[in-house]
Amino acid sequence: MQPATRKKIEALFERYPEKRGALIPALYLVQAENGYVDAPAARDVAELFEIKPVDVWEVLTFYNMFYTRPQGRHHVNVCTNLSCSLRGGRGLMRAIEAHLGVHAGETTKDGRITLGHEECLGSCGTAPVMQVDGRYCEELDEVEAKRIIDELD
Amino acid sequence: MPKITIDEKDYEVADGLMILQAIDDLGLLMSGVDIPHYCWHPKLPIDGSCRMCQIEIEGVPKLQIACNTPVKDGMVISTQSERVQTARQGVLELLLLNHPLDCPICDQAGECKLQDYSFDFGMPAGRTKEPRRVAKKAVDLGPTITFDQERCILCRRCVRFCREVPGTGELGVFNRGERSLMELFPGTQLDNDYSMNVADLCPVGALTTKDFRFKIRSWFLDDVETVCDRCSTGCNVYASRSNNKIYRFVPRLNDDVNDTWMCDHGRLSYKMGRENRLESALVGGKPASFIEGLRKASDLVRAASESGGTIVASASPFSSNEDLFTLRKLLETLGAPPATFSVPAGKADGILTQAEKAPNAEGARALGFQESDELAGAKLGIVFGHVLPATALTQVEKWILIDTHASDLSGKAAVVLPSRVVTEKDGSFTNHAKRVQRFRRVVEPSWEAWSEGALLQQIADFAGLDGWSEPWDAFAVSKRLCDEVPAFSGCGLTELGFCGCELSK
Repeated sequence: MQPATRKKIEALFERYPEKRGALIPALYLVQAENGYVDAPAARDVAELFEIKPVDVWEVLTFYNMFYTRPQGRHHVNVCTNLSCSLRGGRGLMRAIEAHLGVHAGETTKDGRITLGHEECLGSCGTAPVMQVDGRYCEELDEVEAKRIIDELD
Repeated sequence: MPKITIDEKDYEVADGLMILQAIDDLGLLMSGVDIPHYCWHPKLPIDGSCRMCQIEIEGVPKLQIACNTPVKDGMVISTQSERVQTARQGVLELLLLNHPLDCPICDQAGECKLQDYSFDFGMPAGRTKEPRRVAKKAVDLGPTITFDQERCILCRRCVRFCREVPGTGELGVFNRGERSLMELFPGTQLDNDYSMNVADLCPVGALTTKDFRFKIRSWFLDDVETVCDRCSTGCNVYASRSNNKIYRFVPRLNDDVNDTWMCDHGRLSYKMGRENRLESALVGGKPASFIEGLRKASDLVRAASESGGTIVASASPFSSNEDLFTLRKLLETLGAPPATFSVPAGKADGILTQAEKAPNAEGARALGFQESDELAGAKLGIVFGHVLPATALTQVEKWILIDTHASDLSGKAAVVLPSRVVTEKDGSFTNHAKRVQRFRRVVEPSWEAWSEGALLQQIADFAGLDGWSEPWDAFAVSKRLCDEVPAFSGCGLTELGFCGCELSK
């Protein structure tokens, strides 16, 4: 953990009645450093928060915006919940998998894109939906989805 | 104190309790009031994760979980209504969704709550068509525990135990929803001094001890109440035996001593009764028959006594109160000074383990024996066990050794007589907090070996001492001990209950 990140986390402590309340924002800061939080980093965080490493790991693995392994430069997450599925979400997922040559949860060999599967992106009105680096791409079809993905660097 | 009604019967319970705790405190849980539960454990923080303990409360629209709902005065609880039964059936069906139905090969069969509750509330047939979740089989969690991830129902008892009792927190539940799995923090092992307790806690067959796994089916075992002798805590245990063999120690609930835990070292100590035992008497370092050994020992006692030579004795803190009392009586008969004793020392861990690594040092103190590593010069020494260093015996001309295990001392004594370990005799120990606790005979040695007290009685009888002709019996000796030593009043073997009692002040 960089000293600057450590300082930022320590500053976060003041905002919460209990240190532990700052865990999620702190993990975002640590993730921003390397793109993911692995076991040694989780140990560092636990030490700073004076909790067990296993407590940090439970939070890390519970929320799918945190990564415990190296990720691609871009994150593409496709929603396959009911509304999206009714409007072709699963077909969209299969098409993207074929296009990128990886399954959901995997990263392309060139390290460009990590493809994810989201249980629900909460945008049923504009289904099917895909999230690219946190940005929503709505009312998609396969052609449009591939175009968006191909335009990524 | 709130008054509540459970299944149309009125009870008065303590303030500030949850419903399940209150029912357990009344002694009714599963023996009068049938509330099934997995995640709730009386000695662990409440989790409320299994949802099995649902009950109906009058005036409350939804069913509530009994483990995390506080008792209120006037509460009317129903544990057997149709709604409750249906809910239990549903929860059980959900818990069994991913649990393999492999009871015939599961090592927890016979001690599995999933099995018991399935019998009571389960569906007659499975309704799932989807493939079951694939998880890891026989995961090596560390030196003592094997984990079957498929069988885990995520009750988190093991997780809470590691955090709360040893405070090591190796285990956690990772991921979310149906992907949740109990696992170790990456790169670590479940390797604390209390790790094997998680196998007792696991209500299903997910966590099993490597030591007991696949050794024997639990229904072939019968459990005998006894006490661990590895330190002065004296954890209450059940020794599970079958065919004159002990297969395991499991902790027994005693709120005043060990709650419901014990350390791994104590748990595995049942094996010590088998290894490196003294199986025959030795006279002059050479094997002799048991009776020859007894006669030779009595000759030595008579000779020393008749010649007016001094006799000294070293007691063992591993001997029972009754054996030590017999030694005291013998020394009084012989006009010898009170025995000394030495206690092996180690580290206390602040949880259960004490620094005194013997079960009955307090008993020896209560009987007036002095703690010392030295033995005064004498014509004859009577030595219990091999706690005393060999250098302490240089001033004693000859000595009789009464011991359970072979040691450096065995070859040097004039006579060695084999004695019984704690699981082979009846008696009591006094723990570090002055609590007298009873242990029972679990198995019989397959060779001639008696308890220290019985051996002393026989030696004294053979030596022709007055008042020693009556055969030794732990219960009779215990009664005399209680009559003659005021501190032990009311602590006789027949009076000691399940949990023991404190020495009188």
